Amino acid sequence: MTRVDRLRTRLTTAGRRLRRIARIARWEFGQSTSSYNRRTLAVIAVLVVVVASVGTSAVALGVASPSPNTDIYRVGVADNSPYNAVIDDHASLTARPPDRTALATGEIDLLIGGVRQPAAGPGPRSPTLLVEPADGEKGDAALTAFRSAVQSYNDRAMALEPNRTAAYPVVVELQYIPQSTLGPAAPTNAGNLTGDDAAADNADDSDGTDTDANDTDTNGTTSDADGGTADGGGDNTTGTDRTEGDAPPVADGGGGSLLDRALFGGGTSGSPAEIQPPFPFGSLLLAFLFLVPMNFVIQSYGSSVLNERISRRGELLLVAPVERLDIVAGKTLPYAAIAVAVTAVIAAAVGGGLLSVAAVVPIALTFLAATFLGAMFARSFKELTFVTITITVFLTSYVFIPSIFTNVTPIALISPLTLVVMELQGEAVSLGSYLFSTGPFYTSTAVLFLLGTGVYREEDMFSQKPVPLKFLDALDARLSGVRSVGVLTALFLPFVFIAELLAIAVLFVLPIEVSIPLLLVVIAAVEEVAKSIHIFAGFESDRFDRSVPTALLLGAASGVGFFVAEKFTAVAQLVGLPDLQLGQAALQPAGIGIAPSTTLLLLAGPLVLHTVTAGVSALGARTRLRWYLVSLVAATAIHAAYNLGVVTLYG
Amino acid sequence: MADRDLRDRWHAVADRFSDPRLTIAGREIRVLGREKTIILAVVIQLFVAAFAGFLVVGLVSLYDPGSVDGYQIDAAVTGDATNEMLAAIDDRPAIDGTRYATTSDAYADFQDGTVNAVFQTTRVDDRIQVVMTAPDGSIETTLVVSEGQEALRALERNLRAERADSLSNPPLPLPPDTGGNPYYDFTYTILLPLLLFLPVFISGSITVDSLTAEREQGTLELLRVAPVTMIDIVDGKSAAMIAIAPIQAVAWMGLLSLNGVAVANIGWLVALVAAVTAIVVALSVAVSLLAPDRRSAQLLFSVGILLFFAGATLLPGGPANTAARLAIDSATLSTRLVVLIYGGVGVAAVGAVRRLATRIDPNRL
Repeated sequence: MTRVDRLRTRLTTAGRRLRRIARIARWEFGQSTSSYNRRTLAVIAVLVVVVASVGTSAVALGVASPSPNTDIYRVGVADNSPYNAVIDDHASLTARPPDRTALATGEIDLLIGGVRQPAAGPGPRSPTLLVEPADGEKGDAALTAFRSAVQSYNDRAMALEPNRTAAYPVVVELQYIPQSTLGPAAPTNAGNLTGDDAAADNADDSDGTDTDANDTDTNGTTSDADGGTADGGGDNTTGTDRTEGDAPPVADGGGGSLLDRALFGGGTSGSPAEIQPPFPFGSLLLAFLFLVPMNFVIQSYGSSVLNERISRRGELLLVAPVERLDIVAGKTLPYAAIAVAVTAVIAAAVGGGLLSVAAVVPIALTFLAATFLGAMFARSFKELTFVTITITVFLTSYVFIPSIFTNVTPIALISPLTLVVMELQGEAVSLGSYLFSTGPFYTSTAVLFLLGTGVYREEDMFSQKPVPLKFLDALDARLSGVRSVGVLTALFLPFVFIAELLAIAVLFVLPIEVSIPLLLVVIAAVEEVAKSIHIFAGFESDRFDRSVPTALLLGAASGVGFFVAEKFTAVAQLVGLPDLQLGQAALQPAGIGIAPSTTLLLLAGPLVLHTVTAGVSALGARTRLRWYLVSLVAATAIHAAYNLGVVTLYG
Repeated sequence: MADRDLRDRWHAVADRFSDPRLTIAGREIRVLGREKTIILAVVIQLFVAAFAGFLVVGLVSLYDPGSVDGYQIDAAVTGDATNEMLAAIDDRPAIDGTRYATTSDAYADFQDGTVNAVFQTTRVDDRIQVVMTAPDGSIETTLVVSEGQEALRALERNLRAERADSLSNPPLPLPPDTGGNPYYDFTYTILLPLLLFLPVFISGSITVDSLTAEREQGTLELLRVAPVTMIDIVDGKSAAMIAIAPIQAVAWMGLLSLNGVAVANIGWLVALVAAVTAIVVALSVAVSLLAPDRRSAQLLFSVGILLFFAGATLLPGGPANTAARLAIDSATLSTRLVVLIYGGVGVAAVGAVRRLATRIDPNRL
């Protein structure tokens, strides 16, 4: 058989498989659409029409109040006061008669008084409105809301003024320049500030591996203020390209780190009102829109998979001359296609581009993969509902909440939704950050489907077991020999990565003295579970004999697998996560962000650690759940102590 | 065997008062408890609440310097409008301005981290141009920018006040900034409604699952021989589901209070949640009785609930806004009236569904 022949055979086989997958997909699609019969769709259409007409008529009549904070602050104001217009314009404020006793009894939150003209000497140079807030947080919050309402009212009034100079007497340019973090920096020559500083920063990077080449780059210097004309983005300068001292005074957002670009999402020039402290609220809401349809897709998908199991129709598919993977692929394809199509439609509607779709698709795939596994485990539709809600809530908060910090910290990039927010704000995204935020999602999708396909077999599909036991079964189905233990550990890495990043995100707001030790323990626990849970599953199903040498061998295999896979977390360097103190704590014990020049001991350290701790928990896993938990705690303690040592030594 | 005796007597008493509907409701709740997943669901809700709590704290400390005790921004001011800029900075307690004679000195100190911001001022035909420099890529960046912006707005206000004669509508005087929390309402308008109405959604979804599962497994046919009617089943299941949502709501409000978020009008809020749950559960019962199969029922329910909340939000007194106004203690008579209306609609919906259930023949489902 020549090579061409072999290639041809392989192609034909692949073609046949694809046709089979397509056939199952068509069948699945036809089935799910036929079950939504015409009457159901008609009822939905009628409902949509009714709600839409009620909504539009409410808007047309002017009684609509879509904002959830409507009228939450009550302001006491005289009928003839000019501030009535301010209060009318602002949804959260509502006007009440000015009454001092009402303020005391909590009937109103804020009382508006007279105006004090500016006096000579210290104090404000413009007239001040005298107000009395009610006691407590709410009164202060009402005052803050009222103040910003007056401010935006004034901004709107000024926009109509014919005398532009009097209306806008101040013009602002905002620029961002990195400060040297390592004590007083060498250069003091402001004229040549940026170039020198960047060089100094690089020299200070003791590790030599340039983890933040992008970070040290800033376009433009600051010595002259002759009216900065931002020269527009588009020039994707890299870390090597630095502008000279005579560049325009205001950075243009084309170069610089991701954070620079993120920050340039806010307005950087104009009147003081036009400057935006970076908070991407609008883009954030739009990004959330992408997540809403996922719930419908996974609901339908989960029902379809579970239905196959409960009505035992899946049995017929299993006896057909089709591989399990093809069945699963065929069943999933229509839902994945719908998810992609809906994402594309939403992207087109909210003004996102290809990047938004490319960022949301891995999220959609993870939704589907988690639902598939959930539907393979669930015993009833009720249980499936809970599993679906759990998946939705967990994934939604995992992707949504970090994206709120888009403009603030690189941690935000753990969520692909951050990429959407950035695209909606018109910022560029590097390939590195795309890989960093979507990589864990792609790989977890693959692993979840792999685990689910493992239990896509008669003895698991049509038997009723509690979810944890099914989970152990799914793990066991992937085990065969010693080597498979190491491989499975490596496959868990995306979940470990996700859990650790989530821990960073949650602990981010705590003071650093509390968060770092806590983080080290959490990370140790997560990694130890990932290294030993499948060994426990293997022992429980009697796949391995329960002897000490076997346990040690399995532990060593698991530790090596983890050590190798852990090296891939180096991708975190691409977005500068190690620059953050918390990021360092999370990554340093793995040998990431430490210079190759450090001793061999440090490189071998993680390997020894992972094999030892995995061995400890494997010994406990031999017998019973209780002993497994005890040994897990011991392994976590060893691991956390090691982590703490590394961080204090090199932190 | 006094123990046995007592139990027998208790059973006798219980039998006398027993009602098939209560039995069904009790069984429904026990099944939920046995399938441990409901605990999982509660844990997940807890996770959301904790995360959201962190979020509020995080947002406030990032954007509001007042919440960070003793945090002070040092700003360097240079250029020919230094006096005006310094006067404006005086207004802001969180910023300290220092005059710098030369621009290069200012930037050198910025580089060293001695100052957090630089305001470089220039007079250009009757206007003041300011180049504001903030640290790049630092946690403080947002804080510096928003405080700096406030100082610049103070400068703008002062200049506008000087030129008020050239303006046709001089700006309205501002009240002083007392550093109230701008995210105070987030907890009440977003988080609290979310926590209150998520259990409502779960209740409705379980009702659909529970009823359609009975139907698809053919267990409703057993009604022919059992001493319960279709109405008893609908009543029992709905009662169980309408009961668990307000209980969860009370738990959430207790948790929020423990976290220092004062929730007012708890009784009214519980009534609101119960009323909305009644409406949603009635909707889910109707959907499961009328839809041809489980998948259609779930789809109809999801779309229906989304439209219900969307439509109700558009109307004045939507559930989210009503809950927020009650919780933040800004409720008026009309807010309470709205709660009563929801209650009325809930009772009417349950009544309508019961009538529907009498007309449905369980054998034909």
